[in-house]
Amino acid sequence: MKTRVISDDLLRGGREASLTRWKEHRGRYVDWCTVGFCILGALLVGITVLAIASMASAELANPAHLLEVATSSEVVGSILLTFAAGANAVLLLALFGTPLAYVLARARPSRFKGVVESIVDIPLILPHTVAGLLVYLLFMRRGWLGAPLSDIGLAFEDAYPGTVVAMLFVASPFYVNTVREGFEKVPVHLENVARTLGAGTFTTFRTVTLPLSLRHIYSGAVLAWGRAIGEFAGVVMIAYYPFIISTLIYYSFTTDGIQTSRSIGFAVILVSFGVFYLLRRMTRFVGRYDDRV
Amino acid sequence: MIAFDRVSLTLGSFSLKDVSLTIGKGDYYFVVGPSGAGKTVLLEAIAGLHSPGSGRILLRGEEITALPPERRGVALVYQDYSLFPNMTVSENVSYGLRVRGMRKGEARAGVAGLLERFGISHLADRYPGTLSGGEQQRVALARAVAVKPEILLLDEPLSALDPVTQEKFIEDLRRLHREEGLTIVQVSHSRRETHLLATRVGVIIDGSLVDEGEAEVVLNRPRSREVAAFVGVENILDGTVTANENGVATVDAGGRTFEAVTEAAAGEAVTLCIRADDVALAVGTDPSARKAMAGRVVSVVENGPVAEVKVDCGVILTAVLTRRSARDLSLVPGTPVTLSVRATAVHVIRG
Repeated sequence: MKTRVISDDLLRGGREASLTRWKEHRGRYVDWCTVGFCILGALLVGITVLAIASMASAELANPAHLLEVATSSEVVGSILLTFAAGANAVLLLALFGTPLAYVLARARPSRFKGVVESIVDIPLILPHTVAGLLVYLLFMRRGWLGAPLSDIGLAFEDAYPGTVVAMLFVASPFYVNTVREGFEKVPVHLENVARTLGAGTFTTFRTVTLPLSLRHIYSGAVLAWGRAIGEFAGVVMIAYYPFIISTLIYYSFTTDGIQTSRSIGFAVILVSFGVFYLLRRMTRFVGRYDDRV
Repeated sequence: MIAFDRVSLTLGSFSLKDVSLTIGKGDYYFVVGPSGAGKTVLLEAIAGLHSPGSGRILLRGEEITALPPERRGVALVYQDYSLFPNMTVSENVSYGLRVRGMRKGEARAGVAGLLERFGISHLADRYPGTLSGGEQQRVALARAVAVKPEILLLDEPLSALDPVTQEKFIEDLRRLHREEGLTIVQVSHSRRETHLLATRVGVIIDGSLVDEGEAEVVLNRPRSREVAAFVGVENILDGTVTANENGVATVDAGGRTFEAVTEAAAGEAVTLCIRADDVALAVGTDPSARKAMAGRVVSVVENGPVAEVKVDCGVILTAVLTRRSARDLSLVPGTPVTLSVRATAVHVIRG
């Protein structure tokens, strides 16, 4: 905290003023623990900044190439496809994951609940290739679910539904766990009161629990979406085509070489950063009542 | 109105054991007991929020053990008020009407009179997070009353309020009970509230209903030593009956003899309960007074308008005087005094 105050002063004030302020601060108590933590933390942030900087310096040296690659229909289409598939997965998660999260939040601790919780977390602990295999084996043309579904015309192998289902699988724990945390924060007393006032279970959920958990649902959705659009190994096993962005970058890296893949990568960084910044900014308009619960 | 028939229920560390009780229409029923005794669980069981492991709950003579809370006509107010933070005061109060299908404008108009009555009209568009404890409590009560319940359940509604607000709220509750003819069940561990409001009292200790009945009886003639200690009988003495003449027993307790109205026979071990305001205190030693006990003041504790005076006269007895008279008598530790207790003021617990 203290270091921030100092640097703010240095940046804001005139040079002279800041110098005297700097002197005023000297000799004051310095919290070395916080300073140490800040230095260690800065190293971690530094790696990310350095990596992006090294990529940016190369890309910004040749903006024409960057622009050409970034605006090619292949890249634009792939980014849109990835974002759409991610959003699609999140929609499905909202539909199926929200009820699950609620049940987990309200169920009393039991062995069965523990088992369900572990199953929900499985995608978190598996190597992504294993997750991909699991999805592939279940949804491939001869898979337990893939076979009957392909009979009614829903094919997963190398198709959009395959991408969505793989994203859904790997992103589900992020959504379910975050939303569940939100539901747990809503006091049961509020629900009890609503019930005695005449609201049924679903009305109570809709009018009390859900509005008070909106912030968690929103951040769960953003987290899950971020996780979904970043997936590679899980998706590539069942749906190599159509190219999602990570597959496209990998393909380009192995065939066209480093220059093209780097340009695509940089374009993705810019777009993702922009989108996530916007999504985060929007959080402040969602479910402000959470804090008062 | 409400009847529990041997209800047992376990909920984490709280439990009810074989509780049978009857709450009549129009009763102001107090459920008292130490913290963690299962009082709130009992309230929630009446509301239908927990289903009992065994036993039956009857409402208006019909079994409702499996009826969901929204169909019981019972409103609940928690100690923490539990206002919906995402709704304004007006929306909170009209919530019950809204979920019954009333339109927003209609519901708002419907509760306007109620807000007026509880003195919260000026808060109608505020959110609960911005209200004081007393205001929140009023909103919670108005919200519960808005659905016109037959039974109002209150879970320690006064414990989080400052003394001045408490007084006002007790007045509100008393009026509500009198004017609406509501059946009110209130959980409390405050003796004062119980004395002020209750018509009937049930005492729960460790999940069991250990005493139940008219407030006057439970508070002044408790059934067991445990209950006596809980309802705040100041003087509880163990003794033995030495003689009994026509229902007036002489009891020896710690070297002092007391007369009490009881059927207990000579030789029987009994517990004596004497309320502090039944102990008469006079300064000085007055050998002429029959059955008077001489002793010395041990301590004088002023508590609002009254003073509790502890006197050592072989046994320690507590007497209560107005603060004014305690000062007029200039009682200090060591002052010699004489105590006397009427035989009819001594309640005897047998066995």
